[in-house]
Amino acid sequence: MTELMPWLGLSLLLLVGLGVVFTGIPAAVVLLAAACFGAVAGAISGAVPVQLLGALPERLINLLENDLLQAIPLYVLMGTLINRLPIADALYRCCLVFAPGPAAPVVSGIALGALLGPMNGSVGASVLALSRVAEPRLAASGISLPRRAAVITVASTLGVVVPPSLVLILLGDAMLNAHTIAVTAIGRDDRVINTQDVFHGALVPAALYLAACLIIGWWFNRRSKPGETAPLKTALRPTVQQAVLAIVTVSAILILLGGVATGYFYAVEAAAMGGFILLLAGFVSGRLPLPVLNEILREALALTGALFFLLVAATTLTLVLRILGTDQLVAGWIAAIPGGTLSATVIVLAGIALSALVLDAFEIIFVVVPIVIPPLLIRVADARWVAVLVLLALQASFINPLIGYAVMMTRTVLRQAIPFPALLRSLLPYLFAQAALLLAVLFLPQLTHVGEGVDDRSRKPPAISNEELERRFEQMLPPTVPPPLDVEPRR
Amino acid sequence: MRFLDQFVGFLLAAAKWLALPIVTLLFLQWPLRTMLGLYSREANDLGQWLFALYVAVSITAATRARAHLAADTMARHYSHAAREWLARAGVVFGLIPWSIIVLVTSWSLVRNSTLLLERFPDTGNPGYFIIKLALLLMALLVLVQGLLELMPPVRRPSSQ
Repeated sequence: MTELMPWLGLSLLLLVGLGVVFTGIPAAVVLLAAACFGAVAGAISGAVPVQLLGALPERLINLLENDLLQAIPLYVLMGTLINRLPIADALYRCCLVFAPGPAAPVVSGIALGALLGPMNGSVGASVLALSRVAEPRLAASGISLPRRAAVITVASTLGVVVPPSLVLILLGDAMLNAHTIAVTAIGRDDRVINTQDVFHGALVPAALYLAACLIIGWWFNRRSKPGETAPLKTALRPTVQQAVLAIVTVSAILILLGGVATGYFYAVEAAAMGGFILLLAGFVSGRLPLPVLNEILREALALTGALFFLLVAATTLTLVLRILGTDQLVAGWIAAIPGGTLSATVIVLAGIALSALVLDAFEIIFVVVPIVIPPLLIRVADARWVAVLVLLALQASFINPLIGYAVMMTRTVLRQAIPFPALLRSLLPYLFAQAALLLAVLFLPQLTHVGEGVDDRSRKPPAISNEELERRFEQMLPPTVPPPLDVEPRR
Repeated sequence: MRFLDQFVGFLLAAAKWLALPIVTLLFLQWPLRTMLGLYSREANDLGQWLFALYVAVSITAATRARAHLAADTMARHYSHAAREWLARAGVVFGLIPWSIIVLVTSWSLVRNSTLLLERFPDTGNPGYFIIKLALLLMALLVLVQGLLELMPPVRRPSSQ
């Protein structure tokens, strides 16, 4: 019976995928139901000691005291504040001044997404802001609904790779855990990567992707549309106050980004600073009367709960999967992938891309990454490169036309039926750009190491031979003994 | 049940204001650390247990506001009754068993910490036990809300 337990865990993962897609129940509830089912089945079969579930409270308390996760409510609050304050509108109007020709509304929409992303950190908040500010102007420019939806979808995900985004922070944390497990397991003398390393590694790919999106947006909309209503740029010329607001906002973003990139302050502090400044600006300008503030705080609490519940549910499920030994099963498969570093990385990324068909980025970070990345990092020494590749795969998962989170959010917010083939056609150029970038980073790992100092390097030459590495890896795969539960680092 | 529903609503309405001191404290730790060199750890610890309480109640707030992330690509084609049935199944097989497991497994840990008024291990500042209490609060609220979700007359979306 014991040898079947890892397979039970694997079938739970499949169950989660099917449950999320076919039931419409919140993903976190599906994860919890799968975890409870796995725990009960394991306990009834007698193959799994039920006392191992005693590790759950410690793990959940780790979440409650995790410094990095404090960023979640901060980003959510910033996102809701940006939605209520006139910042996005001022930024969009100023972007229009600089953007060229008939493509100006699209290019400005994409630029606005890139500017808002680091501030509100969450794709959902960006979709809301872009739908409110940019979508009516795109419609007035005669841009078709599927193209408008594609622009909003893509622009809202730009913040994913631009530090300090929420996805980037959470992935950074997951990578830290995964890398710690990997270097501990094989005794490599690497410096464990942290969120800051993932920030730095993502900068060049993020800049390339932003440039590609701006070019695509301009190219496909460079000619005037027959239905274009009027000189939008003249109608939406920013007032002096709006120009000042935009300049102050961009300066604040650059200061926050610069501060985080140089390590002057932590990402959480930057998020708190942004939230504090926005609150202060709202109070001073009189745009946050009590009823509005009440509504903002209510919304922020609920959205924080939605994200945190996913984290809680995924933590529970990954514990159950560890108890069942599923992580060891997957680790064995990854160790057995023929070929070298590249083939193992490609296959694991393909697995993550497959998961993205049924899970969104947060679920992938919390459920899939802890299972597949530690064994991958045992084979692949360049953790920064792996982190950026996973980040790009996650960003692609947001614009997955079937169930990508950004696509679903845009469809919901626009409240109009968008034909799938037309939306797919509009998204295709951006998807190609995403795929090209992924391939570029895959074959040119140095793109993730631009500007990296010698002291910053996490990668060190292997301290042990390949034979010794394989031998230690074999030791990690005990088929019958329950897996150790204390292999994850505690903060 | 109606009283319980109102009590949970009142608790959530009060808890949402915690966002303001959390933002302020987490912001203040930077100037306190770099400019004054004082009290930044205190600000961090205080922010930490406020954060723990905030997220502990936020899950139930999300449930009541129907804000949890869900893919309704397929489910939107289902009848209202089928979706209601699925939602109840989620409560019965997911929320309630999970909250009971957490309540049972964490009880002695939280109780000991609370009786000792456990302090933060790194700084010695008071209040660490509140983080552990927050776990119990989280599970308890999920359980209560789960039970409320199973009672049709009391269910009231967004009632915070």
